[in-house]
Amino acid sequence: MTATPRPLRTRPARTVALRPMAALVAGFALVGAALTACGGDSDDGGKKEYLIGFQGPLSGDSQQLGINAYNGVLTAVEQLNGDKSLPFTLRIVASDDQGLPEQGPTAAQKLIDNPKLMAVVGPVFSGPTKSSEPLYSQAGLLSVSPSATNPALTDLGFTSFYRVIAPDTVQGAAAAEFLAKVVKAKRVYSLDDRSEYGTGLSGAIERGLEQADVPFTHDGINPTKDYTSQATKIMADGADAVYYSGYYPEYALLTKALRGKGYDGAILSGDGSNDDQFIRQAGTANAEGALITCPCSDANTDPSAAAFVAEYKKVNSGLKPGTYSGEAYDATNAIASVLRKLGTDANRESVRTAFGSVDMPGVTKRIKFERNGDVQGSTVYVYQVKDGQRTVLGPVSSLIKP
Amino acid sequence: MSGRLRSLRTAGLLAALAAVMTGPTGDADHPLAGIRGSLAFPRVLFFAAAALVLWAALLGRDRLRAQARTLRGTALGRLAGPAGAGAGNGNGNGNGAGAATRPGATWLSGRRGAVLGHAALLAVALAVPPVLPTAAQQALVSEIGIYALLALGLNVVVGYAGLLDLGYIAFFAIGAYTTAYLTSADAMPWHAPWQLNPFFVLPIALLVAAVAGVVLGGPTLRLRGDYLAIVTLGFGEIVQLLANNADGVTGGPRGVFGLPPLSVELPGVRYSWGLDPLPYYYLLIALIVLVMVVFGRWERSRTGRAWTAIRQDEVAAEATGVATMRMKLLAFAVGASVSGFAGVVVATKQFFNPQSFGLQASLLVLTIVIFGGMGSRLGVVLGALVLQGTAFLLRDTVPPADRFIYFGAVVVLMMIFRPEGLLPPRAHRPRGSGPSRDRSVESVESVDSDGAAGTSRGVADQASPGVVS
Amino acid sequence: MGSAEQISQLAVDGLMVGALYAVIALGYTLVYGVLQLINFAHSEVFMLGAFGGLFACRALVPGDGATPAGLAAAGLVLVGLVAGAAAGGAAAYTLERCAYRPLRRRGAPRLAYLISAIGASLFAFNLAGKEFGRQSVPVPDLFANRTVVTVLGAEISTQSLVIAATALLMLLAVDHLVADTRLGLSIRAVAQDAECAGLMGVDVQRVIVVTFVLGGLLAGAGGFLYAMTFNASYTMGFVPGIKAFTAAVLGGIGNVRGAVLGGLLLGLVESFGGYLFDASYKNVIAFTVLVGVLLVRPSGLLGTRLGRPA
Repeated sequence: MTATPRPLRTRPARTVALRPMAALVAGFALVGAALTACGGDSDDGGKKEYLIGFQGPLSGDSQQLGINAYNGVLTAVEQLNGDKSLPFTLRIVASDDQGLPEQGPTAAQKLIDNPKLMAVVGPVFSGPTKSSEPLYSQAGLLSVSPSATNPALTDLGFTSFYRVIAPDTVQGAAAAEFLAKVVKAKRVYSLDDRSEYGTGLSGAIERGLEQADVPFTHDGINPTKDYTSQATKIMADGADAVYYSGYYPEYALLTKALRGKGYDGAILSGDGSNDDQFIRQAGTANAEGALITCPCSDANTDPSAAAFVAEYKKVNSGLKPGTYSGEAYDATNAIASVLRKLGTDANRESVRTAFGSVDMPGVTKRIKFERNGDVQGSTVYVYQVKDGQRTVLGPVSSLIKP
Repeated sequence: MSGRLRSLRTAGLLAALAAVMTGPTGDADHPLAGIRGSLAFPRVLFFAAAALVLWAALLGRDRLRAQARTLRGTALGRLAGPAGAGAGNGNGNGNGAGAATRPGATWLSGRRGAVLGHAALLAVALAVPPVLPTAAQQALVSEIGIYALLALGLNVVVGYAGLLDLGYIAFFAIGAYTTAYLTSADAMPWHAPWQLNPFFVLPIALLVAAVAGVVLGGPTLRLRGDYLAIVTLGFGEIVQLLANNADGVTGGPRGVFGLPPLSVELPGVRYSWGLDPLPYYYLLIALIVLVMVVFGRWERSRTGRAWTAIRQDEVAAEATGVATMRMKLLAFAVGASVSGFAGVVVATKQFFNPQSFGLQASLLVLTIVIFGGMGSRLGVVLGALVLQGTAFLLRDTVPPADRFIYFGAVVVLMMIFRPEGLLPPRAHRPRGSGPSRDRSVESVESVDSDGAAGTSRGVADQASPGVVS
Repeated sequence: MGSAEQISQLAVDGLMVGALYAVIALGYTLVYGVLQLINFAHSEVFMLGAFGGLFACRALVPGDGATPAGLAAAGLVLVGLVAGAAAGGAAAYTLERCAYRPLRRRGAPRLAYLISAIGASLFAFNLAGKEFGRQSVPVPDLFANRTVVTVLGAEISTQSLVIAATALLMLLAVDHLVADTRLGLSIRAVAQDAECAGLMGVDVQRVIVVTFVLGGLLAGAGGFLYAMTFNASYTMGFVPGIKAFTAAVLGGIGNVRGAVLGGLLLGLVESFGGYLFDASYKNVIAFTVLVGVLLVRPSGLLGTRLGRPA
């Protein structure tokens, strides 16, 4: 990560009675950290500065997804700060929740406590969303999640919650339709990763399959590395399509295990796997032909989003956008569009009230919200790995036409 | 290698480590980029200077130590035995183990002094939080207070009875899910036919967690040492997986949302805990003080002594008529019961899901117990404050992705410099300076490659029975 | 239950993972035997070994693409194994030097080691994440991912065969080393009675270091083998670490052959358990089996004595 948020507020720490040497080492480390933090601090003076919060997993097991989203926010902010016509500059304040619900309230409060902060991109995961949103709602601080797909989130009475990603139900229904009508699967093996995201998606798909009269087997497996015996189990089931509801590192290993066993049915996954890392981690040969559904247009191949990809690579030292980077970029730009309208005297309340009427083109979809905070009418696209490249087949609705 | 060169090497390595910890990141395609960047030109000067400062500090410390050793040599002359030097060494500046037992060494040594000291601490604990930022208050509740309560419970199992429990968080989960079952009709698919005020759930959760402790302990407490550790670890995993898999009962990975908050409804008094962290904080303080007082009485009772006997030598304890099995079960039940309290507070305060109850959380509670001072009530509470407080402060001082690098380093350094924890209990400190006979406190191995003795000082009685069989 | 082919297929799957668990479990068991210490940071030694092997391999196979021919592939596996073992051994040495020896010198309580190990583990894997990135990284494909041998209806790929054979060789070598060599004798002597061994002229400090390094070599090489199929990532150590620890206890911690037996058994239990029940209950089944075994045999299947089956 290139930018380190400056401390919000520093209070005298309780000093631990460590011995001199330990204290010295800790001191060096902190000074060093401070040196790093002070790296890129050039500001064209005079402009008003607004802070934008980011809440997501930046440490712990799920941190890569948090980092993807953070880099998306960073890209948008850098780009906006380069825009001389804006009457303000933006700065990110990141708050780490490790993707865990019990860390949510503290992470959220950290952002709420900062009076210059106008809105938050996040939380990234559904679990922390549920534990943090009551606080955001109470504080009247707008929060826009790039990635929390649990359908119930918009029905829990949170007054300042929006998301730029479609709930699982939208993708699940489309994926089921695709399985039934395009893949023409006779039997589907629906496997989820037992996470909130995975079970939500697999549940939605299975409801869709039931309606389409496609028989299926449900199974769940907590994220692991070893999918060899799972692959044996899938082969024995006789399903001619596997849909994995989970994230790309596991989808890659599952695909690798299935192809290793000679499985020749269709292998699919959802938006959590829509990342070029999937191809790399599964191996090009294994990933070939694998399908991915996503309620997002692809930033890497969509010409209109080429500018985003270029900017992202520039800001993040050559990295390509990953899962949820585009959504986070869109969320940030949506917030910025409101700030632009409000000018230099925006406050939390005015940002929150104005956000509901945002209507702008984004790199993943058109950003326009329902009353409950869900993004309007998402199209679900299907991607396929062809010659080692993730390519768009098109929206499900156009693929199912004969 | 001479001592000076060795110190220089240590200083150099530590500075290089600090440079890498604070330096740029690399990735799999450029695995050395981070390290190279960390030791690049302008930075490296700073860290080289740091190394030199550290070296000077190390040399100065060695000199001071040598002086102290000569002084102590005369002071300790009357206390025979090589272990005295070892214990003093372990405490470096010599105010840890030795000082507290020296008569009249501190004004806090008397009973009245202890009471005053505790009262002062409590006053600080009550007075300070309102002036902190709300985020710090949140951390005081959900990261420090809850974990202090959990650590107090685990302390009974690990600190008093000397049983290593790696699945302690399971009881916390059981407390939280019991609360959900009893207080809400829609938060979880499975619920009680009637709904209770969460306050009435406190004693129930306590009881349920205690029963769970007995259920786990019954068959497994026959196992010794590290076999018990792995079985409790397994129990913790099983509880978490069951909570996550039983969608129809617990809601599975969706978790439990929307429990009614704690509330008091007495004639004339009506109060409900909402989103504000402070009321929860004071509730937790009340619970912590209650638990500390009760455990303090317990500690000094017959039961407490029985636990100490078991911890020090189970066979001897059994031989002298301690009902070891029953006492161990009691320790499990008592330890578990406290986490029931913690479960109620967490469940009513905020959303939770099975992710909160993983092995990492169990290890964190154990770390707090040892970090604070196993067997010491105040120690483990302090451990929660310092360790979790460190994690909280690191939020603002280091890049978030690197937070746990620093956290891990703090834990290791702490164990190196104060292996008995921040505030070890008095009973564990060796009387005079003789070697402790306490099994859980005793060293694994006291081989000193370049110490004065130069040879193995041996392993006293081994904690784990199997290996020497 | 499925057909005979499926049964043997599941057995093969289970044994392959089990062999890897066994290789890691040996590190736990050796250190435990000598120090009565659960080396919780062993999982990070495994992870660093995987990265060591991986980077060495990638340095030699620049681009993704064609799989190298037979002999070259074997050479690369060897390079990866050696580099992985070296990285693992170095990591284990550093760990002993920085996180354990200072404690030993100060006569720290037993549990302080456990906590120091947890701290070291947090430090190591997060630092690895910082330096090597947080994405999983595949080892370059050394073998085409296809079936070569069929045993009783079970299909085994070259890669699995190589992994299983290497693991087996390492297990045999360690067993021989502990049972029949002078070094093994001193390891066993320290395991039985460190004080006495010291008095009899065994350099206890050296034996401890050697044991750590030996465990590290194994875990490092095992890490590379693991990464060949399952990719390497900074968090990869935790779960196999816990599994291997379980395997070591299952077989009788401190017992070399017990660790091997425990590892293989655990692999089989997981494979069949995941097949027969919902796969998410895999670990529940594994731990239930563990508890069951320990209730019947409180010191594991083969008892706790290092190097000598009971």
